[in-house]
Amino acid sequence: MKRKTYKKQKDNVEFPILTDGSGLMQNPVPPDDQTPSWSERKSRSTGLAQLTYEYFERARLEDQDIRSRADYLEREVLGFPMWPHEVVRGFAITSFFIGIILLLSAVAPPHIAAPANPSQTPAVILPDWYLYWSFGLLKLEPLNPALSILGGDKIMLDRTFGVLANLVVVGFLAALPFVNKGKARRPVEEPFWAAFGVAGVVFAFTVSVLSVKNLVPLNSHLLFDLTFILPVLFGIVFYSLLKTMREGYMYELNRRYYRLRPPKPYRPPKPPK
Amino acid sequence: MADEFMKGFGIFSIAGLAWMILSGWFTTPGFETTQLIAPVPENLDFYGQFSIVLREIMFWFAVVGALTFWVLIPAINEIKAKSNEK
Repeated sequence: MKRKTYKKQKDNVEFPILTDGSGLMQNPVPPDDQTPSWSERKSRSTGLAQLTYEYFERARLEDQDIRSRADYLEREVLGFPMWPHEVVRGFAITSFFIGIILLLSAVAPPHIAAPANPSQTPAVILPDWYLYWSFGLLKLEPLNPALSILGGDKIMLDRTFGVLANLVVVGFLAALPFVNKGKARRPVEEPFWAAFGVAGVVFAFTVSVLSVKNLVPLNSHLLFDLTFILPVLFGIVFYSLLKTMREGYMYELNRRYYRLRPPKPYRPPKPPK
Repeated sequence: MADEFMKGFGIFSIAGLAWMILSGWFTTPGFETTQLIAPVPENLDFYGQFSIVLREIMFWFAVVGALTFWVLIPAINEIKAKSNEK
């Protein structure tokens, strides 16, 4: 029970009781500019505004009570309990989508086609649309270098190169969580990685378009160049945009919101032996 | 603000679903051809013509309703708040 210090600290020192609804000063969730004032609270006196206000205010108060009573913090971040808050919300959203599925499948049942003929190869062979990116990576033969040292031969078969490109992309995605731990909650907090992610999403799209280049009304060389230029362009634009948003923007807000652990009690430094 | 979003979303989803159902019945010649937005077939009976009119109404109801509650009313509120400040 090392955390008792916090309570001791509370008992020994006198804290003023604030009237802005935040209660005692020792509350580890200090009022900030997001905390409504009393007049703002009173104005929410009718209808749905009052209902939602009471709903969230009760959760907030419960949280505050738990924090002020606890010897240790059970929850590190401010949040709503699973029951009933999250369960009710999740059930509502789930019902909405299941309802749509049931309704549409009842009123517009899909046509069931004749079974596929396994002995006949279709003219156009394509993977499912969500695998177009991988299919596009198989079509990077212009990137496969032809080396003069090999007499102008390519260093490897185009198909080997395509498979290796898949391995590189998947391997990079697997390594990404170790490169960036994802501490930022919003893009402004880490503009570089946000822009990097945007570039990745755009590349997934452009390389998917490249995979069906026969169907795209564009010069295939231009399309190939755009496949790599567009992601970089979007990345640069988003980086500068997010950098600009940081100016005068409360990008520290979230970090403060999640820093809810009470400050560690002061421990004098150990005397040297 | 949340109320306005929910009203717009309710209109958008209900009217959009109604449009989708009517389009699935009347302007979807087949599963592997144009879906939902194919040209309106000719020689419809009374109910068919009524459904086509309803389909148009639902489409514009979804668009205009969502725009009203998501853009127009919040913009009016913003302008009101701005003018009250002055």
